[in-house]
Amino acid sequence: MSDIVAQTAPRRRRLRLAPLIPAAAAAGAVAVALLLVAATGRPVGIAIAAFWDGIAGSAFAFGASFDRAITLAFVGLGFILAGRAGLTNVGGEGQLAVGGIAATALALHGAGDLPRMLAPALPLVGGAMAGAVWGGVAGILKVRRGTNEVISTLLLSFVALQLVYWCVQSTQLLRKPQTSDSTLPESLDVPDITQLPLLFPDTGSPLHIGLFLVLIAAAAVAVVLTHSTLGLRLRAVGLNALAARRAGINDRGIVVLALTLAGALAGLAGAIMIVGEQYNLKTDFTSGYGFDGIVVGLLARGSVGGVLVFATLLGFLRSGGISMEITAGVPAAAVLICQGLIVITIAGSAILGDRARGSA
Amino acid sequence: MLEIAGISKRFGALAALDDISLSVADGEIHCLLGENGAGKSTLCNVIFGVIRPDAGTMQLAGQAFNPSRPADSLRAGVGMVHQHFSVIETLTVLENMMLGHAGTRLPRVATARRIREISEEYDLSVESDRLVGTMSVGERQRVEIVKCLMLAPKLLVLDEPTAVLPPAEVDSLLAVCRKVTQRGCAVILVTHKLAEIREVADRVTVLRGGRAVTTARLAEADLGALVRAMVGRDVAALGTTTGAAHGVETAAEAAGMTRTGAAPTPIVAAEDALTLDAVSYVDEAGRRRLDEITIVIRRGEIVGLAGVEGNGQSELGAILAGLALPSAGRVFVDGKEITGRPPAVITAAGVGVVPEDRHAVGCIEALSVAENVCLSALGAFSRFGMLRRRQMAARAVDLMRSFDVRAAGPDAPMRSLSGGNQQKVVLARELSRDDLVFLLAAQPTRGLDVGAVAAVYDRIRTARAIGTGVLLISSELDELLSVADRILVIYRGRIIGERKADPAAREAIGALMSGHVPVAP
Repeated sequence: MSDIVAQTAPRRRRLRLAPLIPAAAAAGAVAVALLLVAATGRPVGIAIAAFWDGIAGSAFAFGASFDRAITLAFVGLGFILAGRAGLTNVGGEGQLAVGGIAATALALHGAGDLPRMLAPALPLVGGAMAGAVWGGVAGILKVRRGTNEVISTLLLSFVALQLVYWCVQSTQLLRKPQTSDSTLPESLDVPDITQLPLLFPDTGSPLHIGLFLVLIAAAAVAVVLTHSTLGLRLRAVGLNALAARRAGINDRGIVVLALTLAGALAGLAGAIMIVGEQYNLKTDFTSGYGFDGIVVGLLARGSVGGVLVFATLLGFLRSGGISMEITAGVPAAAVLICQGLIVITIAGSAILGDRARGSA
Repeated sequence: MLEIAGISKRFGALAALDDISLSVADGEIHCLLGENGAGKSTLCNVIFGVIRPDAGTMQLAGQAFNPSRPADSLRAGVGMVHQHFSVIETLTVLENMMLGHAGTRLPRVATARRIREISEEYDLSVESDRLVGTMSVGERQRVEIVKCLMLAPKLLVLDEPTAVLPPAEVDSLLAVCRKVTQRGCAVILVTHKLAEIREVADRVTVLRGGRAVTTARLAEADLGALVRAMVGRDVAALGTTTGAAHGVETAAEAAGMTRTGAAPTPIVAAEDALTLDAVSYVDEAGRRRLDEITIVIRRGEIVGLAGVEGNGQSELGAILAGLALPSAGRVFVDGKEITGRPPAVITAAGVGVVPEDRHAVGCIEALSVAENVCLSALGAFSRFGMLRRRQMAARAVDLMRSFDVRAAGPDAPMRSLSGGNQQKVVLARELSRDDLVFLLAAQPTRGLDVGAVAAVYDRIRTARAIGTGVLLISSELDELLSVADRILVIYRGRIIGERKADPAAREAIGALMSGHVPVAP
C-alpha cells in the first residue's frame, strides 16, 4: 500500500513528459543515421529524398509500406499473445515460411477451382494451420521435454527456411516446370482467383484486404487478452504456472495453445505474403519479417495498440530503407544500422522511462 | 550500543515510522514486537541503511551513525538477517561467504577456517562445502547468521527469524542469540511471538502503527499488557486459543476453564472425508520422502499433522493438492479415488487447499483479488468464453465482506494486500463452497498477526462444523493443540504416533516430533 501512495503523485507528472522521450530519442537516432549516410559519401539530400519516396512517394510505395506493416503486425500480435503466457516466440520467421509453403501449395493445387470468395480463403486457412503446427510443436516440446521455447522456435525457423528452399528447388514439390536453364527456382504464380483483392486496384497501390484482416485479428487478440477467460488463463500461467495449475488451469495445455495461436497468426501472415503481394514462393521470401516482428512485439510491450503502431513504423522504415539502398545507393549495412539505432533508442527510452517511474 | 532518537519515515500519506526513539544496550537482546505493518521491518531497514529516515538521528557506540547504504552499516558493525534470505542457492556456503571479497585471489582456506571457528564457537553446525540449494530453511538461516558473525558485528538485527523455523530450530536460534550477546554484541530481534520474547528478551519495545507504544524490561513486563499494546484491544476478545498460539496464558485458562475451541462438535460423523492408503513418495534424487502414509480423516474432524519441517509435510501437501504424483498408494476423497488426478478434478471432488507457500502456489500476486477468487471457477464467471467482470467483482466483494478482507477493492492487485489479508482471500476461495468435503490447511497462519490468526482458526472450525474433514499441517505445536481434535506426528516421512490434542500430551508429542518413539511397556 505504502509504495502505491508514495508513487502516484510524481508518476503523474512524469507521464505527461513520457511520450516526448521516445520521440526525441528517435530524432537523435535519425540525426546520427544521416551522419552515417554522409560518411558513406552519398549526398544526404538524395538519400533523404529516396527515403521519403520509398515511404510515401507514390501510391505504390505507400501501399507496399502498409503491406510490410501487415506482416509485421501479425507476427507481433502472435508474439505478445504468447508473451502473455510468459513465452517468447522467436519463431515468427519459420512460421511465416511454413504458412507461405502451405498457402502456395493450396493455391496451386485446389483453391484455383473454388468460387471467388473461397479461393483466397483456403490458402489463408491452410497457412494459418501450418504456422499453428510449427508453433505447437515448440509448445509440445516445452511441456513434454522441457525444451526452452526460445531455442526450439528459433531452430524450427531454420528448418522451415530450408523447407522453403527444398520446395522451390524440387520440381516434385513446388518448383515450376523447368523449360530452360534460366528457369528460376521458384513456384508458379498462384492463380488470379486465389489472390487477395486489392483495396485500390486503379491507383497501382499493392495494398490488399489483408489490412482489414490484421485489424480484425488485432481486435480479436485485444478482446481475448483483456476480456476472455483464455486471456486470464494465459496471464495466470505466465505469472505463476504452479498457482495456475493449483487453481485447476491446464497450464501445459495453455502453453501449447499459446504457441499454437502465435504460430497461426504468423502462418496466416506468411500466407498473406504469398497470395497478397508476392504471388509465388521464392527462397527467402520471408526476408526477415519474422525477426522484425519480434522487435515489433518487444517494443509494443504487450499492448495490441503498440503492435499496430510499431508494425507501421517498422514497415515504413523498411520501405524507406530499401528505397535508399536502391535509388540513392546507400549501402544496405548503413540502412540496417539506421534502423537498428532507431529501434534501440525507442526501446532504451522506454526502459529509462520505467526506471524514472520506478525510483520515484 | 544503539541510540535512536525521533526517527520518522513517511511513504506518501502513510507514516511508516512516527517519531521512534529507543536505545539498545551492549549485550542486550532487544525485541521489537508488533503486528504486520506496525513498522518493524521499516525500522530494521533504517538501522541497516536500506531506507533513509525523513527525520531523527542514530548513534552507534557513541558515534553519530547515519548509514545511506547497507555497506555503510556493515562497515560500522551492524549485521542483518532479512526475512527473505540473501544467499545464492547454486553456490556452496563457502562461495557465498566469499562473495563480497574484493581481491583477485579468493581466500578459500582462511574463509573455510573462519566458518569452522564461528560454527564451533556458536554451535551453529554449518558445513562450508554444501550447496545452499540443498539446505533447509533453518540451515540457510544459520548460513546467513554465520555470514553476519564473520564480520564480528557490534549489533545484529534479525528480522522475524523464527517465522520460518520449526520449534526445535527456534530454540537453537534463541540459544545463538544469547551466545552472541555474551560476547558483548547487541541483538535486535523482531518477532510477533510472545513465547520467544519471554524466553530471551532483556527488553521489549512494542510498535503499533509506526509508533513505539511502550518499552519495558521483560522482568517487569506483563505479557498480557504487551499484547494489548500490540493489538490495541484486549487479548481476551481474540479468543483464548489465539493467545495460546502466541504463548500467552490467559486468566481463564490459568483458572482451569475449558478451552472453547478444543471441544469437537461434529454434525456429520462416521463418514470418511479423506483416506490415504499407504501413500509413498520418492523424490527425483531417489530419497524416500513419504513412506506408506495411511491416514483416515472423518467428516467433521480436524486432524493435526505435527512434525519438524522437512519431514515430508510439503510432499504430502503437494500430493493432496494434485501437484505431485505419489510413487505408490492411493488417495480417496469421500470414497472416490483421486490418486494422481489433476488439481481441477481434485477440486471438483470437494477438496479445498490452503497451500503452505502462499506466494508460490496459493495466489497470483500480480492478479486482482477478484481474479484470484474466481480463477478456480472461471466457468461460472464467464459466458461464451468472455469474463463476466461484474459478477467476478460482486463475488469478490461478497467474500471480502464475509471473510473480513481489508483491500482497496475487488480490483486491487493481490500484491497490495498484507499477508494476513492475502491468506484470507485464499481461505475465502477454498472454503466458500457448499460441497467442501475435505480441507487441507498447510501452515495456514505462518507469518500472520494475531488478528488474522484468530480469523483463520475461526474459519477452519466453521468448516468442521459444516462437516468438512480438515488436515491441518503445522510446525507450531501450540496451534495444533488449540485447533485440532487429534494429532498425528510425522517423522522422516512416516507417521510415528497419534495423540489426543490435549495440552497434557505436549511433552509426548514434542518427543515424537524429534523421532523419539516411546517403547511399548
